[in-house]
Amino acid sequence: MFSEQAAQRAHTLLSPPSASNATFARVPVSTYTNSSQPFRLGERSFSRQYAHIYATRLVQMRPFLVSRAKQYWGAGIQIKKLCELQPGEKCCVVGTLFKAMPLQPSILREISEEHNLLPQPPRSKYIHPDDELILEDELQRIKLEGTIDVSKLVTGTVLAVLGSVRDTGKFLVEDHCFAELAPQEPPPALDTDRFVLLVSGLGLGGGGGESLLGTQLLVDVVTGQLGDEGEQCSAAHVSRVILAGNLLSHNTQSRDSINKAKYLTKKTQAASVEAVKMLDEILLQLSASVPVDVMPGEFDPTNYTLPQQPLHPCMFPLATAYSTLQLVTNPYQATIDGVRFLGTSGQNVSDIFRYSSMEDHLEILEWTLRVRHISPTAPDTLGCYPFYKTDPFIFPECPHVYFCGNTPSFGSKIFRGPEDQRVLLVAVPDFSSTQTACLVNLRSLACQPISFSGFGAEEEDLGSLGLGS
Amino acid sequence: MADQLYLENIDEFVTDQNKIVTYKWLSYTLGVHVNQAKQMLYDYVERKRKENSGAQLHVTYLVSGSLIQNGHSCHKVAVVREDKLEAVKSKLAVTASIHVYSIQKAMLKDSGPLFNTDYDILKSNLQNCSKFSAIQCAAAVPRVPAESSSSEKFEQSDLQVSSETQANNELTTNGHSPPTSKQIVQQPKGIMGMFASKAASKTQDANKETKTEVKEVTNVSSAGNKAPGKGNVMSNFFGKAAMNKLKVNLDSEQAVKEEKIVEQPPVSVTEPKLAAPTGLKKSSKKAEPVKMQQKEKTRGKRVELSDDETKETENMKKKRRRIKLPESDSSEDEVIPDSPGDYEAESPSPPPPASPPPEPVPKTEPEPPSIKSSNGEKRKRKRVLKSKTFVDDEGCMVTEKVYVSESCTDSEEELKMKTSSVHRPSAMTMKKEPKEERKGPKKGTAALGKTNRQVSITGFFQRK
Repeated sequence: MFSEQAAQRAHTLLSPPSASNATFARVPVSTYTNSSQPFRLGERSFSRQYAHIYATRLVQMRPFLVSRAKQYWGAGIQIKKLCELQPGEKCCVVGTLFKAMPLQPSILREISEEHNLLPQPPRSKYIHPDDELILEDELQRIKLEGTIDVSKLVTGTVLAVLGSVRDTGKFLVEDHCFAELAPQEPPPALDTDRFVLLVSGLGLGGGGGESLLGTQLLVDVVTGQLGDEGEQCSAAHVSRVILAGNLLSHNTQSRDSINKAKYLTKKTQAASVEAVKMLDEILLQLSASVPVDVMPGEFDPTNYTLPQQPLHPCMFPLATAYSTLQLVTNPYQATIDGVRFLGTSGQNVSDIFRYSSMEDHLEILEWTLRVRHISPTAPDTLGCYPFYKTDPFIFPECPHVYFCGNTPSFGSKIFRGPEDQRVLLVAVPDFSSTQTACLVNLRSLACQPISFSGFGAEEEDLGSLGLGS
Repeated sequence: MADQLYLENIDEFVTDQNKIVTYKWLSYTLGVHVNQAKQMLYDYVERKRKENSGAQLHVTYLVSGSLIQNGHSCHKVAVVREDKLEAVKSKLAVTASIHVYSIQKAMLKDSGPLFNTDYDILKSNLQNCSKFSAIQCAAAVPRVPAESSSSEKFEQSDLQVSSETQANNELTTNGHSPPTSKQIVQQPKGIMGMFASKAASKTQDANKETKTEVKEVTNVSSAGNKAPGKGNVMSNFFGKAAMNKLKVNLDSEQAVKEEKIVEQPPVSVTEPKLAAPTGLKKSSKKAEPVKMQQKEKTRGKRVELSDDETKETENMKKKRRRIKLPESDSSEDEVIPDSPGDYEAESPSPPPPASPPPEPVPKTEPEPPSIKSSNGEKRKRKRVLKSKTFVDDEGCMVTEKVYVSESCTDSEEELKMKTSSVHRPSAMTMKKEPKEERKGPKKGTAALGKTNRQVSITGFFQRK
């Protein structure tokens, strides 16, 4: 791993100056392809209804589910549409899930005068024991009951259920299955260690100064200023840095200025201006030394709906001088040195977290992989562009590294699929609170967290380093 | 010898200048490789401690290595104080690197100052931030400006093409949007056209319409409108009774900056309505059309001014100040009344909107005499030099000497008269005052020119 490799060289820095100092060359980019073209939006028209996404999603996913159903429940299973169902007959139905949640925020309910409801305060989870699952296909919908975990599933998932319809009109589920993993190309065999650094949630402009030193230490490690020769040599093997969203802090959004009168806020500068200047300087330091991919996140100045478009280069006048800086979409898909990366800034996972009983972000990430859809809750509870031709969030193929940013803590796991696919799942933690980033080794497909700390006034220096116990 | 130089340098930085010397700071200052800077710092610390064991040197180190945490092998990079160094080292499973991070004389409570030092030196060396680094990247070549600008142009033309095609394709779906934009564009034009045309023949009904449209104009062109100048225009038309009301309103508005103009039109628009019953009814009809014209005119002028407000207004401000200064005399003649003084203090503050007010002011200034004379009382109007203290829109207190026209008897009505000779003939023709009133201001300026020097003596006797 990074540390072991770094420790292999002798320590030279606790000694008088030597005549010459080693300089290492950054590993050159051998192959890089940006495959995020499906997430780029050209001309946008919002005059369409969102029903088209669901229609195309079902059409695209149906063949995968049919083949999985046949694989699990036998080739002779009857696949029927909802309109063809006969009572008491065991069959398999493919459809989109809808979860009816009483606690789900509904704007219609809020503004309805007959209820006289006050707006609901935001909660961390909107699940309720009374939630119900409804399966919809092209023409009809039917309520589901039986052996199916209502609290775990979310709206928008396409799945196949095995069971029979009761006389009450509800479908009694015996078993269900997802599309599981898409086919995967085998990962390339690399001869040297190459690393990709994943960071998310820099949170600039947040007002807290503690994370700034951590950010500076991170930049210094990657650009080869910090550390002994061994560490600098290892850092030279970092071939790419991916900033996965939330580069600006939540505080820069200045939401209260929307409610204030214009004459009060006219001459005030947006809080994001200073933060973007800081970000530009950091990006300049990074891109002068390593190729950088910048993904926008929930609090960054770009569009709100998924897929988020790249940040505009005019915001980074200093850093865009370097061609190593690349501004990319969220979600982001690329092939780096032959290894397929796919990741988001975390909005999809956190939205599923709100509407499902799953607690661990890494678990949710794995679940989206199994469902073969990056964000099934879009467009229901997560903003999404009204696609109608294709749903770009369906996995066409299985990536080698699948990450999501801005999770509360670091998590990493190797997941194996039914056809011997091997995926490294990485939950990249929020840097402004955890001071931790992720180093992915492309040769071994392993991930190591790297964390930074300064020292504070209190005696908990060791505790802050995590070395207390 | 060369070795000794850096030692002396570090010594000077730490001891004499009391700086925090981080390895990065030293590397940029001396122009050496970062690793060499780290070694220099270490060398200095060792030697200094050997020579003088009581040396007051605090050192921070950087330690990095791996640690098993939560089942992962976590790589830690930490800046630690010297006293914690051994403890931290012992916890790490594998130590990757240790080196000196910084030297300073004083004990640091937290690592904030270290960051500040690094940030400052980095800011001044942004363009070659990786010059002394241990890693050089061949791909990081700054783009040639021609390339980047051509790519920008390409993007722009792309956007234009796409926006055009988009407009063509989506006119049907977004059919509602272009007409509304056109409407918005036309609306100010219509209002501006209204200003340009002669509004002399407007009736009171038309006045009401213009009032609402003026409100819209203020919403559209609210930038750069100066509130106090507007209030000054209003003051010209009201009698005593309404003055208090207006003063109260304007006092409350003084503290607020120009953005309050949005409120003012409704306030001032309601004012005439309120003032009409309480004020002088005879003059009201006359005052209103005149006021409306001037309001529109001032609106129009202000709208035009708002387009190029900042620089030109500042230049004009400076110009006016320069003109004023030679006029001011040392001896003060009159006691400045406080409350009306405050109110008037606001009114001269923005000179450019004052240039429209001077035009209506000379026009309207004879109004009160005509109003008062219509009441049957004969009062003389005299020009008096008074000094007014006010806070201008930059927040500075300014004292100006201005000529104020007031009647012999105690009058609360003071009108400001600037000695600038910017008379716009077009504006003059818009007014429908009788000629004698027009001559009045002209006489006034001529008289002012004459009595410029003697004001201080004669003014003393005029006020009885």
